[in-house]
Formats: sequence, C-alpha cells, structure tokens
Amino acid sequence: MATTKNDAVENARKDLAKRLKIDAADVKEHSVEDTDFPDMALGAAEDGEMSGQMMTRGWRIKLEAQGQTYEYRADKNQVRAFKFKGKNYRI
Amino acid sequence: MNRNNFFIHLALALVLILVAAFAGQLSRWRKEWRSRVHIVPTAEKKQAATSDEIALSETRSFGSPEVLVKFKSGVSDEAIEALTARLHDRVEDRIENAGGVEAIDDLDNADPASIVAEYSKLPEVEYAEPNFEINLEASEGPLVPVLPHDPQFENQWALSNSGQNGGKKGADISAPLAWATTTGTDKLVVAVLDTGVDYTHEDLAANMWARPDGMAPYHDAELGTIDDLNGFNAIDNASDPMDDNGHGTHCAGIIGAEGENDLGIAGVNWKVQIMPLKFMGAGGSGTTKDAIEAINYVIERKKAGVNVRIISASWGSTQRSRSLEAVIRKAYENDILFVAAAGNASTDNDRTPHFPSSYDVPNVISVAALDRHDQLASFSNYGVKSVAIAAPGVDILSTWLGNEYEEKSGTSMATPVVSGVAALVLAENPRMSVDDLRKKLLASTDPIVALKGKTVTGGRINAAKALE
Repeated sequence: MATTKNDAVENARKDLAKRLKIDAADVKEHSVEDTDFPDMALGAAEDGEMSGQMMTRGWRIKLEAQGQTYEYRADKNQVRAFKFKGKNYRI
Repeated sequence: MNRNNFFIHLALALVLILVAAFAGQLSRWRKEWRSRVHIVPTAEKKQAATSDEIALSETRSFGSPEVLVKFKSGVSDEAIEALTARLHDRVEDRIENAGGVEAIDDLDNADPASIVAEYSKLPEVEYAEPNFEINLEASEGPLVPVLPHDPQFENQWALSNSGQNGGKKGADISAPLAWATTTGTDKLVVAVLDTGVDYTHEDLAANMWARPDGMAPYHDAELGTIDDLNGFNAIDNASDPMDDNGHGTHCAGIIGAEGENDLGIAGVNWKVQIMPLKFMGAGGSGTTKDAIEAINYVIERKKAGVNVRIISASWGSTQRSRSLEAVIRKAYENDILFVAAAGNASTDNDRTPHFPSSYDVPNVISVAALDRHDQLASFSNYGVKSVAIAAPGVDILSTWLGNEYEEKSGTSMATPVVSGVAALVLAENPRMSVDDLRKKLLASTDPIVALKGKTVTGGRINAAKALE
C-alpha cells in the first residue's frame, strides 16, 4: 500500500522516538518538503544496497528531538532515516 | 502506277514512318524508364537513392563489343584486321581519343574474360580489357528515416527530437535513420536486471523472453530447480519476475517496446526478446548478493543456449563489491555486454566511483544522461576516464505498470537506450564479439560540447552511426 506524506511523517516520528528511546510526543516536526531524490533509495542507501538510478519524487522530513534535528526521507514506497549517527536505515 | 495506287503507297509509307517513329519513341521511353527505376535493396527498410549513379555491369547486349584492345604501336590496321578475323572476331570501332583502342566484337559471343585472356597473350597486344556496360541504375542511396505509427512516438524525443517541448532539434539518437537498416530481431535476448518487468504490459508482451520449449527449468546447486518460464526472481529465488515497482518495466520499454503496433510507444528495438530479472523489490533497491545471483542466472542461460548478449543494469551504489565485479567479468568471458548507469549524484566517478558502472572490466559501458537540449543532465554523474558515453535520460517516456506510460529521468533511463542500440547492432551483426560491440558503440557518437572533458567519448550515442 502506498505511503502518504502524513503516514510517512508519522512513521518517521515513531522510528526516531524508538531510536532515541523517548516518547513520540517529544519528537516535533521541523519541516516537510517535496523534493527529488537522486535514486530509488532516496539517496540514503544502506550498506550493500543497490538502487535504481531514477530520480524519485518524495519528501524530505526534518524532525526535532532533544535539541537536535534529524532527517528522514520518504516516498510512496518507503521511509528512510538519513545518516542517523552516520548510517542510513530503511524502516 | 495509277493515281489510286500512288495514294495507297503514299499512305502506306506514312503509316510505316509513323510506326517506326513510335517504335523509336517507345524504345527511348523504355530506356528512360529503366534508368529511373530503382530496385530497393531490402524492400521495406531501404529506399533508393534520389539520384542515379553510374555503375558497371558485365552484362552486355548481343552484338556489342566484348573487349577493348590496345595494340602495340607499329601494328598496322591490316595486321589487326587479319588477327581479329583469324580469331573469328571483328573490329567494331577504333577509338582514337583513347590512344587507338580497338573495340572488338567476338562473333561467337564468347565470355569476355576468355576473350581478354586470348588477346592478352598475343605479342601484338599491349593490353586487353572487358567492355563493361555502363548502366544508369539504382544504387543503395542514403537511408530514409523510418517512423513508426505508435501513437505516443511524437513524445519520444530521445529517439527523434524534432524540437518538441522546446528541445533541441536533432538532440536524439537518430533512431528513425537506424530503423532504415534494422528495427531489431527476436533472435536476440536482452536481460533487464532490475525490479522485474511487467511482462503482461500490452506494449511489451510480444517482445518478452520465455524459456524455450524443450529447455529444462533452471537448476542451481544451492537454489534447486526453478521454473523460470518468464525469467528469474533472485529476491526469493522464485520463478516470477513480475515488476511491483515500475522501474524495470520502464527500462524494458526503452529497449524494446513493440514498435508499429498502434499502441503507446516504440522501443529502440521494435522486435527483441526482453529477459526479465528481478533483484530489486517494490522500493526500487536490492542486495549485491541478489544482483550476483541474477547475473549468474544470465550466464548459465547463455551456456544453455539462450542468445542473451546484453545485460542492462540501471542501478548501482558507491560501494565496491569484488564478488559483483567477478561475476560481471564472468559475463564478459561469456561474450555478454554489461551496460550500467553512471549514477545520479552529480559527481565525478573518476574521484568517487559508482558501481557497477566503474568496474574496470572490458564489457562494462558506463552511461551518463543528457537532456533534450544536449546538456548533461543536472543529476548525472560523469567521468572523463570512467564514464564511457552519454544517452538521453531526462523526461523519457516509457512503459509503466498497469498498461500505463510515464516519463522518468535518470541515468537509469539513459542506460537502456545504449543497451537498445547495442541490440540493434547485434541484430545486424549477430556474431560480433563483446569487445567489438563495445568498441563499435563507443565509436558511434555525436560529439557534444557539454560532454567535453566529462566522458571518455565526449559524445551522445547515435544508433544510425552504430549501424554503419
């Protein structure tokens, strides 16, 4: 089932809360922008992951928690944590 | 002769004159028609020249001289007459302006080559040669572009850029001119290593590979036996390579959407066999291991007799894998070309390699993307040492899931353009080695200013040049 923008933001909030071991209510939405990512891993490939080299329309989601900003990337198929502590994760 | 007879004879004479005049005119008309009629070499694909060319033919009409003989100086006319009479020939004409060459008619109407041999042996003769008949006849003239009637062809700027949507006229791969030579062949298989392919798509179904009757299902020592009727799915090692993303279907359409079927678009090849291989899932990404398994499948199918000569790989990452490189090298050893996307990070692959396109293996062609203005796409990777060639890759219309068509951008889209041109070349030259094929493709470009210092060739692939 295709992911909507709202679903993607919600999934990202839950994921960040889990990673930081905090309550999801403490994760605030900083910004969400429509953008083109360079590939089908949304420019956030995991280690050993190959992705289609097609420009992909999606959303850059920025969240705030514990005084820091975290970036997530999403499209209709997926949500990814971008460089969370230096690594990309597909959630 | 009485008065009546006189008029009868006069009328008869006038009729004969008119008949003779008409016959002469008929003959002239016939000659004229012959000189204008063009025999089209391959009827549906090539068109005759717009202007006649002079061609030589050994065919001669009966009674015309067979040979031209130059006698040595000092040989008299009488001696020449006697000599030709002895050979049961006659001198039909002496051509003074050609240095006294005699046009000799053999009264036995023998083969010109034997007459030439006969005269050449004579001590009186300086040289003898056949009297070639010079005809005005058709020759293979310039190719005439072939345009398909697929309804959305006008939006396929990559194949034929007429300046539509503000593009640059001619910034294309000259597909219509290439199609004057070939539109592809269903004897050739191109493997699309991707998210799978929607093999039921109305514009692809006719060009999909299926395991040939009599060929055993795929067997792998570790994976077991897989019923690969429609291709191979390396994600779950199953038989169904159906696309659940769209990317692979898009790439397949660029290579080989059926042409001239009154549906959608035309592929670079109107006829070809697309072998669907799935190693990327619905999200458009996959693992190195699954890519390796799929390439291994292609190699094994080649060994089993499938004429698969090209793998189209519209994917990649910046992570090097020696295992992936090794299996691509294995594909090279099995005469399989590997066309790979240069990547979409706008970066220099000479400094930051992108794999598999940056592997230094002789069958790899790394492809950058151009837009409709012949500019390097803003997202495209480049590399004067590591990116071989460029092809259209922005706003490319092709097949999509659910019998749909969509415009997409990426070096993903440029890659199957080159794979498609490679398939056209192999359609015309089925025995061409992978080394020669790669060389041919890299030598078949139009120089593009924007690519100077950006790619190895500095040019955009030109399908028509690749078929010269």
